[in-house]
Amino acid sequence: MVSIIRYVRNIRRTGIKQWWHQMQYIGDAKAGTHVGTDQFGNRYFENLNPEDELPGRHRWVDFAQHFNNATQVPAEWHSWLSHIRQLPPSEDKVMQNMSPPWKAPWTENLTGTRGAYRPYNTVVPKIRAWQPKVASRGESNP
Amino acid sequence: MMCTVSFACRRAALRPPVGIFAIRPMHSSQVVHSPETLPTSTTSATQPITTLAMRGSNQMSLEQPQNKAEYVLSTLDKVVNWARQGSIWPMTFGLACCAVEMMHMAAARYDQDRLGVVFRASPRQSDVMIVAGTLTNKMAPALRKVYDQMPEPRWVVSMGSCANGGGYYHYSYSVVRGCDRIVPVDIYVPGCPPTAEALLYGMLQLQRKMRRNRKSVLWYRK
Repeated sequence: MVSIIRYVRNIRRTGIKQWWHQMQYIGDAKAGTHVGTDQFGNRYFENLNPEDELPGRHRWVDFAQHFNNATQVPAEWHSWLSHIRQLPPSEDKVMQNMSPPWKAPWTENLTGTRGAYRPYNTVVPKIRAWQPKVASRGESNP
Repeated sequence: MMCTVSFACRRAALRPPVGIFAIRPMHSSQVVHSPETLPTSTTSATQPITTLAMRGSNQMSLEQPQNKAEYVLSTLDKVVNWARQGSIWPMTFGLACCAVEMMHMAAARYDQDRLGVVFRASPRQSDVMIVAGTLTNKMAPALRKVYDQMPEPRWVVSMGSCANGGGYYHYSYSVVRGCDRIVPVDIYVPGCPPTAEALLYGMLQLQRKMRRNRKSVLWYRK
């Protein structure tokens, strides 16, 4: 449950520095077990104790980047974060065995940068520029 | 002789360069060269892929101050950007079912107010217009009028496939095929209708766009 006692308790658990960091990014003092870190350095936490966290707030991510957004979470950790998979990808044997070798590395959303996806047309253009054809004149005409 | 040289130079400058990276705005003064091979993905937190993708761009040049005056001005710009992105007040232009998802964004679960997004029913005091739903021919003049009443700086978020490009009603006789035919659009949110989560993510992308603003540096360099 959310209370001032929980808040102070979480500050005491995590420490002042971590509390300040969390207030800048998460906006709450949260304490839990560090479940894992993905390849980008985002850290994932879990606290299943209902005294500490409400159900639905019990898994969270601490982003590595300052300007963070949800696409920085790779697909495997997304499935853990939103309860598609129960176990984190580091422990999930099924996910590790099912992971295809041709899988591309995860990239976050590049909208607004030069890496943004640009669609292109693959059909025949509907508008064609007029090409003037000059008829030959002079000798060939009778 | 000089004439031919200058013509050659001009022709070289006007020659359409090759490659995707050659697409550049007309007002940029220097030809943007295609960068060296960029990695398609990186795991660095200090040099994320969004930063790498901007390498060699005019925006990157604007964001790096070259002297003290530019340092001051770009800091001022950042303060302005921070203020703007912390209080995005959307003018609600709910036209169809997308408006319901827009209301969900305001409700408790997605809670737009934590980002400072507060609906404002007056165009004269709002920053963003969320065009949510099918824009009909009959509504188009009203939309443009409301957009013209908004003060600068103003942004437009086009929400849903109907507002993006006509969507389901693309071949209808009475529907505008995309609200970008009426107003300039900054963010397109796809979906039919997009979830409230998607719209909120669109607002985060709009914040990213607001963060790019370096208007005073641009003025100084000009």
